[in-house]
Amino acid sequence: MSEDAKNEEFEPNIVAFLCNWCSYAGADLAGTSRMHYLPNIKIIRVMCSGRVNPLFLVNALQQGADGVLISGCHPGDCHYLEGNYYARRRFMLMHKLLEHVGVDPGRVNMSWVSASEGAKFGDVVEEAVTKAKEAGPMDQFRRRRINW
Amino acid sequence: MVDSKKLQDKARETLVRDDVRRLIGWKRGTYGYEAAPAVIKDASDAEALIFDPTCVQNPASFLTLEEKLPVPRGAEPDTRKVAVMVKGCDSRAIVQHLLEKAYGRDDVIVLGIPCRGVIDRRKAQKLFGDVGVAVSAKIDKEKVAVDIGGEVKTVDRKDILMDKCLRCRYPNPLVSDFLLDEEVEKFADDDFADVVEFEKQAPADKWTHWDEQFGKCIRCYSCRNVCPMCYCVECVVTKLRPQWTRRSTDISENTAYHIQRAWHLAGRCIECMECQRVCPVDIPIMTLNRKLTRDVKELFDYEPGVDTEAQPLLASYNPQDPEEYIM
Amino acid sequence: MAEHKFAKEKLGDLVSGLSGYRVFAPTAIGDVVRFAEVTDPAQVTLDYVNSNVPPKELMFPETETLFRYRLGQDEIDAAVPSADDKRVILGIRPCDSQAYSIVERLYSWDFNDPYFLNRLGGTTLVGLACADPCANCFCPSVGGGPASEEYLDAIMYDLGDTYYLKTITDKGDEVAKALSGVLEAAGGGEKKAAEKQAGDALSKIQRSIDTAGIPEKLPSLYDHPFWEQFSDRCLGCGICTYLCPTCHCFDIQDECEAFDARRARMWDTCMFAEYSLHTSGHNPRPTRKERTRNRISHKYSYFPEKFEVIACVGCGRCINYCPVNIDILDILEKSKEAEAKEAKTA
Repeated sequence: MSEDAKNEEFEPNIVAFLCNWCSYAGADLAGTSRMHYLPNIKIIRVMCSGRVNPLFLVNALQQGADGVLISGCHPGDCHYLEGNYYARRRFMLMHKLLEHVGVDPGRVNMSWVSASEGAKFGDVVEEAVTKAKEAGPMDQFRRRRINW
Repeated sequence: MVDSKKLQDKARETLVRDDVRRLIGWKRGTYGYEAAPAVIKDASDAEALIFDPTCVQNPASFLTLEEKLPVPRGAEPDTRKVAVMVKGCDSRAIVQHLLEKAYGRDDVIVLGIPCRGVIDRRKAQKLFGDVGVAVSAKIDKEKVAVDIGGEVKTVDRKDILMDKCLRCRYPNPLVSDFLLDEEVEKFADDDFADVVEFEKQAPADKWTHWDEQFGKCIRCYSCRNVCPMCYCVECVVTKLRPQWTRRSTDISENTAYHIQRAWHLAGRCIECMECQRVCPVDIPIMTLNRKLTRDVKELFDYEPGVDTEAQPLLASYNPQDPEEYIM
Repeated sequence: MAEHKFAKEKLGDLVSGLSGYRVFAPTAIGDVVRFAEVTDPAQVTLDYVNSNVPPKELMFPETETLFRYRLGQDEIDAAVPSADDKRVILGIRPCDSQAYSIVERLYSWDFNDPYFLNRLGGTTLVGLACADPCANCFCPSVGGGPASEEYLDAIMYDLGDTYYLKTITDKGDEVAKALSGVLEAAGGGEKKAAEKQAGDALSKIQRSIDTAGIPEKLPSLYDHPFWEQFSDRCLGCGICTYLCPTCHCFDIQDECEAFDARRARMWDTCMFAEYSLHTSGHNPRPTRKERTRNRISHKYSYFPEKFEVIACVGCGRCINYCPVNIDILDILEKSKEAEAKEAKTA
């Protein structure tokens, strides 16, 4: 079986942390507008992207997520004024750290999606899924019940 | 080289003060290439204190290791100061502690010792073998003279000192109440060549490396306990409600542990390299911390442990922070 | 009891010859030596002083499944190792095999631990006598020796280009039988050389402690401040415990993945604050002073009181790997001094 065929069958699981005020609303808009976006995405609503502890990403990858997405309000537009600024710093560094451990950088994604950007949300999901497909199933430090 | 008598006298002078509870420094070990940390409460014990290239440990770690028990009813808490002897790298831990408000500047008396380098016991073992006697050493600009049971062997700095010493930018303590020796010049600039080298590998090769290294981990938590910056009363890795990382020692949990620790040190690691020194199974822990140290410097122009007035990195932000990877 | 020899270059054949057994031997990853199951003879390294992590992990793995279960169902699948699983540990040091006998006393005390005992029962211990003990070894002080045969099924001596292998028990003889293709009969020369090596190794051991009276007297030093000179610099990490061949405490945790779960035990150390932390938040050993005092007292007083043997085999790992030079022999010497002073002033 060729690499492409294998990858075509593989549907990655992407866990997304969306901030309530902008990104979750944007995703909701995509839904209500009947825009198609890929079903690989599993959404967790948080109040602000600044609430997301970068260790959630590690835990998600451990539990078998093939990719993660954190999405928040555009810089300057955070509902809580500064949460996304902190998130930006954190995820920049977590992204670098995971890359150094050997995790494919395509698995860790961050985006700014505002409440009116339903179409952008669809694009963001597609990009995350494409990158996760290229990276393949997450197997590196997934919990694999070794010696269970 | 520090004059032992001057060092001990200063220690004695500090310990007899009413407002000093204990002093942390180094004394000769019972064997081998490393000294032992010494925690002294009585001025008469000050004669055991030493400083030479065997003093590898970071005494600043003991400032935060000390347990704070509830004070018995009717008793007053002991607010006396703790005196601590530190090398240049160790003093960065104190600066970072002060910056993070782990304790106040008035709670410590810092006896600073400009340092020319400390011995890497692994390198020394390869050169001179396993020794049962306690080794002492002298160092000058180029050479280290190691006294093993009366026999003195001299080697180049680069053959026996820890890697951190060969690229040391802060040999002189950055905070001190008293300096116990003359300042020395900075040894080198750090070009993070080791980080750049590791980054060149493909992700799959990086993972192969870490799979083997984290596979060795026995989760003794020595790296965490020795780290001066790891002083949370309840650490996320041992937290049970909720449990972030399981206690089982498979590759998944071991990797998660090391990522968690490196992550919590982002912008805080002061590169004393104690974590890597203490690891009983030789995991190159600093590879991760050095990567973040380099990135923090490049991306945010930030260096931990140098300015007590600075803001902690992740408790601050700049509206112009880089965001090149954000969609 | 029989005496054999084989040429060093035949070590690979020896390992391959043990086809009826699972073979465990020291292997190297970089400078770290650790016991592991070997499938390829090239993995074996017998040119070592002692492993970083003791071979206790072969009898009592760091993480071990006790049983598996599925949520919603009543049956459990006990993961007890079979006593018929024949294993050989090749190249274990006498101190580490002595440690098994110490741990066995606890694991067959009020409950026969089938996980540990089945493994021990099915394993043949082929030891490697020490030619060059490390600077901190002190096995003779605690009832052992660099060539002690007491807890081994067979013992090998590295004589340069040959190994002299002497079988001690029936299990050892069985292994020798399986290796009849590789082993030759040893002559008097090998035996003499082995005896000389054992004698030389014994004289190379530099450190010792007279343990007489320590188990009885340590409890009287419970409130003595001498403990603080050690506990003040203790990091509270797990190195001394995890690397100790006789330390045997464990924690039990349940782990769940969707509907599948297991109950597992994993090494624990009394040096962690959480070890004695009660659910109420109270900790009877709140600081490192209590924990350090407890660990040393357990090994040198409480355990001998119950099981008549000191829970230490003098391998020296705790001394070699403690990052802050807490030296158990130093502690014991200071305890004797403290005790002597107390006795004088009493």
